[in-house]
Parts: sequence; C-alpha cells; structure tokens
Amino acid sequence: MPSSPEIILGIIQALILMALSPLVTGIMRKTKARTQKRVGFSIFQPYYDMIKLVRKDEVVSDQSSWIFRCTPWVNFATIGTATFFIPVFLSHSPFGLVGDLILVIGLFGLARFFTMLAGLDVSSTFGGIGSSREMMTSALLEPALFLAIFVVALTYGGTNLSTLVEAASNSPLLPHPQLIFAAIAMFVIILGETGRLPFGNHATHLELTMMHEAMVLEYSGKSLALMDWSQSIKQIILFTLIANIFVPWGISSSISAVPLGLGLLAFMIKISIFAVSIAFLESSIAKWRLFRIPDLISVAIASSLIGLVLYYL
Amino acid sequence: MIENLILFQIVISLFLGGALLGLVSRNGRFARPMIFIPSMMGSVLTVLFSIGVIMTKSLSWTVPNMLPFFKLEIFVDGISAFFMLMIGLVSFAISLYSLGYTKEYESKKRISVFGFLFNVFILSMILVAGSNNGFFFLMFWELMSLTSFFLVIYDHDKEENVKSGITYLVMTHFGTALIFVSFLLGYLQTGSFGFDSFRTSSPSFPLLVKNLMFVSAFVGFGTKAGIVPLHTWLPKAHPVAPSNVSALMSAVMIKMGIYGIIRTVFDFAGFGASPDYSWWGVLLIIAGSASALIGILYAVIERDIKRALAFSSIENIGIIIIGLGLSIIFASYHLTALSVLALVASMYHTINHAFFKGLLFMGAGSVVYATGTKDMEKLGGLVKKMPWTSLLFLVGAVSIAGLPPFNGFVSEWLGLQAILSSSQIPSTVLQLSIAFASLPFALTIGLAAAAFVRLFAMTFLSKTRDIHMPHIQEVPRNMIAGMAILASACILFGIVPFLGISLLSTAFHLPSQPSSPFDAIALKNNDSTSFANLSMPLVAIMLSAVALAVFGFIRILGGKTSKTIYGTWDCGFGKLNERMEYTAASLSHPIRVIFKSLFKPHNVISKELFVQTNPYMVKSIKLHSTTKNIFEENLYNPIISSTLFVLDKIRKIQTGKINSYLLYIMLTIILLLIFVRSSHA
Repeated sequence: MPSSPEIILGIIQALILMALSPLVTGIMRKTKARTQKRVGFSIFQPYYDMIKLVRKDEVVSDQSSWIFRCTPWVNFATIGTATFFIPVFLSHSPFGLVGDLILVIGLFGLARFFTMLAGLDVSSTFGGIGSSREMMTSALLEPALFLAIFVVALTYGGTNLSTLVEAASNSPLLPHPQLIFAAIAMFVIILGETGRLPFGNHATHLELTMMHEAMVLEYSGKSLALMDWSQSIKQIILFTLIANIFVPWGISSSISAVPLGLGLLAFMIKISIFAVSIAFLESSIAKWRLFRIPDLISVAIASSLIGLVLYYL
Repeated sequence: MIENLILFQIVISLFLGGALLGLVSRNGRFARPMIFIPSMMGSVLTVLFSIGVIMTKSLSWTVPNMLPFFKLEIFVDGISAFFMLMIGLVSFAISLYSLGYTKEYESKKRISVFGFLFNVFILSMILVAGSNNGFFFLMFWELMSLTSFFLVIYDHDKEENVKSGITYLVMTHFGTALIFVSFLLGYLQTGSFGFDSFRTSSPSFPLLVKNLMFVSAFVGFGTKAGIVPLHTWLPKAHPVAPSNVSALMSAVMIKMGIYGIIRTVFDFAGFGASPDYSWWGVLLIIAGSASALIGILYAVIERDIKRALAFSSIENIGIIIIGLGLSIIFASYHLTALSVLALVASMYHTINHAFFKGLLFMGAGSVVYATGTKDMEKLGGLVKKMPWTSLLFLVGAVSIAGLPPFNGFVSEWLGLQAILSSSQIPSTVLQLSIAFASLPFALTIGLAAAAFVRLFAMTFLSKTRDIHMPHIQEVPRNMIAGMAILASACILFGIVPFLGISLLSTAFHLPSQPSSPFDAIALKNNDSTSFANLSMPLVAIMLSAVALAVFGFIRILGGKTSKTIYGTWDCGFGKLNERMEYTAASLSHPIRVIFKSLFKPHNVISKELFVQTNPYMVKSIKLHSTTKNIFEENLYNPIISSTLFVLDKIRKIQTGKINSYLLYIMLTIILLLIFVRSSHA
C-alpha cells in the first residue's frame, strides 16, 4: 500500500492539472493573438468565461434526450479521472497501481463516445458533421496512438505511467533512436486529439473547419463550461504526457520539498514552452482538407512503425 | 461427482422435454411458456452444473450400447464446463426474452416448431461441448448446424431468407467436412474416434499428420466461427433469422468453433512446446487480424442493424483468434506465464462477446419488434419511446466498443498487454510480425467505437427518419429482463474482472490466480518493477467520486440555474425537419472514402429535368451508392461459376434415354469387376 503523503501528492497532481488546464488554453490563445498582431485576451480569460458560464441558465434542445444532458458530466468524470494517472512533477504516482496509459486512452475514448452521441442527439446537421469527422479522425488516431505507446512502453518497460516516467527520467538524453520517431508520432497525434490545426480550428465557428466545436454547438451554461473544461484538461494531459515521457527533465523522484518545488517549476516551464510553440505552429499553417488528414495520420503511424523496427533491431 | 452427473441428466431431459412439449403443443395461451420455461430451467441447471464441474472435478459418463461400434462418451472438463457456463447464462437470458419476442410470430406461424428446434439447438450445443468421441461430436455438431439452419429459415415465406439459409447450410457443411477430415486423420493414427485416445497418443503422431490435423480443424471450425474469408454466411444468415436465434447463434454458436480450435490445439493435436509449432500461432494471428479489420470495416458502413452486428461478430472472433494465436506462439517458446495471459485475454473476450453480442442482438430484436424495420436509415428517436431498450443497448454498445469501465475494455486491455509482451519471444522475425499485427488490432478498436456510435445514434437518437413510422412503444417486460441480465453481466465483468479471471483460471487450471476481488491485474517486468496495473473496481470508484465532486463544485460555483427547453439551433432559417438530419450513410461517409480501395463504392446519379434541353433546371436528383463485397465477387463468385460450369458439362451425360442409362450401368459393373479382380490379384 502506498503511504498517505504519496496519495495526497497524487491527488494534488491531479488537481493541479485540472486547475491549470484553462490557463494553458489562455496562453495558447494569447500567443496566437500576438503572432497575428492582435492584443488578445488576458491569459486568464478562460477562467472568467468558465465562471460566467456556470452562472448562466441553459437552453436545451427539445430534440435532445438524457444522453445529451449527461454527456458533460460523463465527459468530465472520465477525463477528470484520467488526470489521476498522470505524473506531473513527481515521477511515481500511487494511482499507477490502479491504471496505466492504456486506461487513460480508454477513458478518453469513453468521453469521445459520449461527445459524438451528444452531437448526434440534437438532430442538428452541425452535430452530425462534427461527429462524422470526429469518427473518422479518432478511428485513425487511436491506432496511431497505440503504436506510439507501444514504442515507448517497450523502451521503458511498461505501460504503467510511474514505471515509464521514472525510467525516462533516469535515462540519459535521448538514449534510444526509436524515441525520436515515437515523439514525432505523438506530436502529430496530439495535434489531432486536441483538434488543433491542421486538423481543426478552435477559433472559428464555421462549419468547414469545425470538428469538436460542432459537436458541442448546442451546449450552453454549466454544460458548456464542463465540456470546455474537460477539453482543456484533455489537452493539458496530452501535453504533460509528451513532456514527461520525452523530456523528463526536472521531474522529482523523491518526496521532499526542494525537488518537488523544482519539479513543479520545471513542469510549468515545459508546458508553457510547449503551448507557445504549438500556438506558433498553428498560426503558421492552414487547415488541411478533411481527406488529407489521413495522410498526416499515416505519417504518425509509419513513424511509430519505424520506431518499433528500430527497437527490435 | 454423482450429483454432477444427475444434474447433467436433468439438463438433458429438461431440454428434451421442452422440445417434446413444443412438438405436441398448439398455438395458444400456454404455448410460449411450455416451450421456454423448460429451456430456462435447463439453462439455469446448466450454469449450476458447469460451476459444479469447474469447482470440483471433471465429469465423465459413458453410455454403453448406443450403437454397435460407438460408445456415447461424455466428458466435461473445465474447458467444456466454461463453454457450457456461457451457453447456460446466455440461453437463460435469451429464453426469457423469447417468451415475449415470439409473440409476433404467434399469429403467423406455429410456435411449437420453433420451440422444438430452439430447445434441441441449445441442447446440441451443450452436447457438442460435452462429447468425448469424434463420431458423436460430429453428430451433435450436425444437429446444431441443422437446427440452426431451420431456425434461420423459420421466416421462410421470403425467398431471400431461404437463399441466405442455403448459403449457411453449404458453408457449414464445408466446415463439417474439414472437421471430419481432421478426426479421420486422428482415427487413422489411433484406430479410434475417442478423444481419449487422441489425447494419449497424439504426441507421437508424425509432424505432418499433426500439421494436417491442425489446418483442417482450423479451417473447419473457423468456418463456423466466421473467420475471413469463410465468413460470408454470417452477414447473410444473421439478419434473416429471428432475432433471438441470431442472438443465440452469434453469442454462443460461433463460439463452438472457438471451442473446437482450443480442443484440437491445446488438447489433442499433439501440440508440443517447440518452435516448430509457432507457425500455427502465426496463421491464427494473420487470420484473426484479417477477420477483425475486415469485419469492423464492413460493420461501419452497413445500414442494416443486424447485419452490422453480424459483421462485428466477425471482428470479435478475430480478436479472440489473435489471442489464441499469441498464446500458441508463447507456449511454443515455453513462455508459460505469457501464454496464460494471452489465453485469458482470448477466453475473457469470448465470454464477454457472448454477453454483449447476445444483448445487442436482443436489443436489435426489440427494435424490430417495436418498429418492424432493421434499416438504420429509417429509424431514430427511439430513445424517448423505448427508454429501457435504449439504455440496455447503450451498455452493450459501450462494452463492445472496448471502453472502461465495461467488460470489453478488460479483455482488450489484456489482449494489448499480450501483444506488448511479444518482446520476450526470442525470435526477431516473430517479434516484428506481432508488433505489426498490433496495427490492425488497434485500428479495429478505434473503428469499433466509431461503428457503435453510429449504430446507437442512428437507431435511437435524434428524430425518426421515416415519417411514416407507426406508433412505437416499449417492448414487454420479459424482453427487457432478458436484456438486463446480460447487461448486468457486462457491467459486472467490467467492474470486477476478478470474477472472470478466477473463473477462467480455475476452469483452465492456470497457474496464477487472483486472490481478492480488489486485487489489481498486475504484470511485472523481469526486475519486478510494475509493467502495467489495472484495478477496475478502483477505477469505477474514482469515476463516481470525480463525478460527484465536480457536481458539487459546479453547483457551489454557479449556484442554481434553470433550464429552458427550446428548438435546436437552425441558423434562423426555420423548421428543421427529418430530411435535414445526418443519415447513417453520411455519418460513415468519411470512413468509406478513406477505405475506398476495399469498399469500391460506386455512385449512380440520376437527374430528372424540367425541360430536357436545359440541364440546369433540375426537378429531382437521386444518388444511388453501392459498395462491393470483394470476397463474394473475387473469391466466391469464381468458385461458384466454375463449379456450375463443370456441373453443366457433366449434365450432358443425363440424356433422358433409358438405353444410355443401361449402358452406364453395364460400364459401371464392368469397371467394378475389373477393380475387384485387380485388387485380389
């Protein structure tokens, strides 16, 4: 049994992810605005939006059923649960005994399943178009993600995230060539999973570019706040994963104040750099035509397969 | 020991009783209870019996003097008992469901015939799992095939149904023939059809015989299981059969093919633990991957609910076969622990698939019962009219999509871990090929979620797409109860995997067993660090805790707010109607475009113009889109047409003149005489 400080630290890690996730979204929006020569909102704007939304009354479609109503809660419960398994500033989490990386992917899958259903529930064509596109990209992204995980899991000896991150933090800088390929794959997958360009565009409400936005179009009030929050948490989870697996610098492996503080600092710097660079990238590329997206995903799959071959050779 | 035997005899007599009652009864108030109550009782006792066998010891029972040369030997070991348990659980739920479901046939047909076949069908499956003699095994196998064939064509008024039934009949006999070949090879080696003699002397069979036995058994049983490319009967037979029959066939009967493969490979094809046999596993993995991927790809684009479910059965059989293949490869390299892991993954998925596919077919049956159609393009909006059916169907859909905290996730998690463990095989070629096999496996899981989102959403959500749909109401309570049993099994086996794993490890006498329900499934590295852990009870607790916490948090932060019901946003253009909704075809269109090399979609656009000379004024425009079934067109049609061609040539000897037939008889006698003469010489 893990000790109680460990459990408390595990819960703190999860709460940090939940709390900081809107900030990451804010930083990305600010960066995009600045690269486009706009002033942009404050980086804390997502928090203000959320507080405003939870106080607003909701409008619910008369076509919708209980699926539509429970989806925001299911979404948050699954993605919120996933945060507990992610090492943030401490390399081992007691929740590693409960579930692993594959469970995290499974939880994301459950959230997505319900989001797609909710998009179709309101009998609006926007929801349909969003779910249809999400169906296609997720069906392809999932195998790509599994393959990337396979490379990482084989290299570091486990899908258990504690084992994985600990092994990563103990190994020298890029010790294995296959990790470069896995990292390329993971990067593409994260762009896709979070609906960033060139997959989708968060900034518009134009049906040509919509994916995630189209599915949540009918939501308002508390439900919309939950949907947006879970989407940002999912984003920060994926950023944390890529940061702590491929650049595990600064993560603490012992429970004492100084390493933990340094770990938290390192985590925040890493995530900020990651968020800023993705936002820069988004500003410099255009959205791809929908049927070119499979090409990009196949690059990720091919890259993971090269990683697998390199691991075994 | 004795008690188990008596229990088994009671089971047989209950099903026989149900069958007889079916034969004598006429349609009336008591017809349905008279048929289905014995089968329910029989199923419960089957469950008790098989648990008894798993807990205590194997049952063997020989009925002497049935036929001069063949003794009816019954031998129920853990493996058989495991499959019997599955048969019992699922057929109990389905019998309960059938009490209500068969009502719609009452006005049209004799229920009694159905009852007779239904009872005999379940009994024959139990006996297949229990027989210990090749001859009787094949006899019960044939009984199972024939009763299921007659059940498939129960609605024989439609010509299409009979046609599909015939496809099934031909394919299943092709399979039976190959199983017979496999047993015959064993007979030639041992001089007996008894499984006991196969078991004792199979290690000494020549390698060639073992390989031949394995291949013919694999193809034979694989036909029943629905492995690509022998799957074509499944998507034909399942949609036309009554839904309770498709539920039984898909949930249980195709698993008898899996049972056969396990029996042959692990019990008596003389499977030795040496790398010579690893190609068996490779063959299984290739066939399994192909089945999984092709099955789910066709399920994603299918518009008939039941046919989509049939394709998804092919997919799940593929996943099971991949697990078995891995298990064989690990065993052939003496990696016992990993072999056990892969076997558990595969068998766990077998019983899971029985639960959720039985549930989903019953759900599809309820939809047909209430609406009269199984075409997704016409359905929709049932979630408000049939709340229970839709909730239970959703449980099945989430389970089969392999999402936590339901049972499908647990078995797919185990399967993925088994694939990951392939790095311990001391052969780079095998390591790499299994690593590449993980691509179709993962793609299948991704596509399965898409397929079941589409299936559920198109059937139950949004508005009814066919405006002429009659008044729809929820199905009777016993049908819901039947579905609820399997739905709770799905949840139970998801949240408490301990149940399934300890059942499996006791039944298959596996070395490692979990000790308490809260133990995590733990896989260790060589240096005893944790490779992966999974504790589903805790995951379930965490999910509900997070949901409660966030509910409280949002409530405190936002206070009480109200909800207004209003129309869906229509961009201000006015009323949205049914014709503007996304349809099943449009939902899966992107996937159809990506995989167009497999589907070969073909679009025909027909326009009707107001004035023939002006192509811009279109009165109506129609798009007819079809996809091709590459297996039928490229594999089966050439075989069928060449067979017909040969038969056509042979037919020329049938002249219809008596003189020529007399000539044939004389020629035959002369040839026979020459043959006898020469063989004596």
